[in-house]
Amino acid sequence: MHELGSAVVRFLVSTSRTIGSVLWDLPRNILILLLKAYRRIVSPLYGQVCRFFPSCSAYALEAVTVHGAVKGSWLAARRLARCHPWNAGGVDHVPAGHRHWPEGRTPMIVVLNNPDQFLAAQADEDGRREAA
Amino acid sequence: MDFFETIMFPFKWLVSVIMVGFHEGLSFIGLPPANGWTWTLSIIGLVLVLRAALIPVFVKQIKAQRGMQLLQPDLKKLQDKYKGKTDQLSRQAMAQEQMSLYKKHGTNPFSACLPMLIQMPFFFALFQVLSGITAAKDKGQGIGAMSHAQVVQFDQSSIFGAPLSASLLHGGAPGNEVAVWILSIVMILAMTASQFITQKQIMAKNMSEEAMASPFMRQQKMMLYILPIVFGVGGINFPIGVLIYWTTTNLWTMGQQFFVIRRMPTPGSPAAKALAERRAAKGLPVLPILGGKKAEETPAEAEPEKPKGQRVQPQRKNRKKK
Repeated sequence: MHELGSAVVRFLVSTSRTIGSVLWDLPRNILILLLKAYRRIVSPLYGQVCRFFPSCSAYALEAVTVHGAVKGSWLAARRLARCHPWNAGGVDHVPAGHRHWPEGRTPMIVVLNNPDQFLAAQADEDGRREAA
Repeated sequence: MDFFETIMFPFKWLVSVIMVGFHEGLSFIGLPPANGWTWTLSIIGLVLVLRAALIPVFVKQIKAQRGMQLLQPDLKKLQDKYKGKTDQLSRQAMAQEQMSLYKKHGTNPFSACLPMLIQMPFFFALFQVLSGITAAKDKGQGIGAMSHAQVVQFDQSSIFGAPLSASLLHGGAPGNEVAVWILSIVMILAMTASQFITQKQIMAKNMSEEAMASPFMRQQKMMLYILPIVFGVGGINFPIGVLIYWTTTNLWTMGQQFFVIRRMPTPGSPAAKALAERRAAKGLPVLPILGGKKAEETPAEAEPEKPKGQRVQPQRKNRKKK
């Protein structure tokens, strides 16, 4: 009986933890969905106009993915304010965040926004495989 | 909704004050104030003011095109470096290097989304002002900077028998529906056609070969045909005055684009080849942009770009710590 009780408690704790993290990540994931839809549907309407790499929408998507809804939106808003015809533009990456992803599970947008980093990692891996 | 109203209020005021300003001016020089054509010209005046305010952006774009000529050798090198690498990551790496190249030379062919975004609230404001005319007349109110008397006058004015505030969906008073239908459809066609032609011209003449080969091209080609449909369908809800505004602003864009294609084409595009041929036929040097009276405007530090050789990969450990 005692064992059953503790199993129930464990189940409830893990369930509430899952629900908690889903709820915690909900605003972030909603924003990610909206940004992805925007990039898929609206961005192609006018082609590339952004003066930066990564483009504002790619920046926003990475910022929200890496930093969450609040800080990510703040970073994206600041980038949008920077993006006007009198700014020189250029390469402007999202600052590094605290989230870590397991090997090979890095979100696509993070990879695409930091191509040289990941190309170097890819070359490293290929080299190691060849050496082995 | 209230939040939206608060944001839109200054835009509505600005749009209506410019329109009323033109209306007063045109009436002063003797045009009949109550005539629909006077109000039509006022709407066109509004477009001229808004687009003229964006001329500095256009000039900036022209200057950037000129800078792009200087960049060609470096861009060519970059293309050679990534030749045959078609995977997405390599394309991204190339895009990144290209951007840092633009920054290094102080020229950037892209004008950011601000010039486009800034026009949207004005368009919405005009839409709201014109759509609200009849309601404001019935309630005895003015809209924005328009007095009630002006609202009544606008509501009663018409061109070809169709009120400027009527749309295909929300026609005017009984008796003028046919005029509203015909004029709306003609204006919707004019609006979508002007947009389509401009876009088509850019794609056919002013895109470099790499841009044509990019994976986004197919999406953009699709959009070329989808956009007119979207606007055509949206147009049934646009008051005729809004259709006039949109068509005029499209015509302005078309004119600007024609100038760009003719005089400042994108390097590597069919228009650039055509320009080179025209100049060769006249016995002029190939790159007018490098010479001529405007040469001193090109940044001095961009000049000795040739012997620099391979650029080092920019920001290898890129993510700046804050």
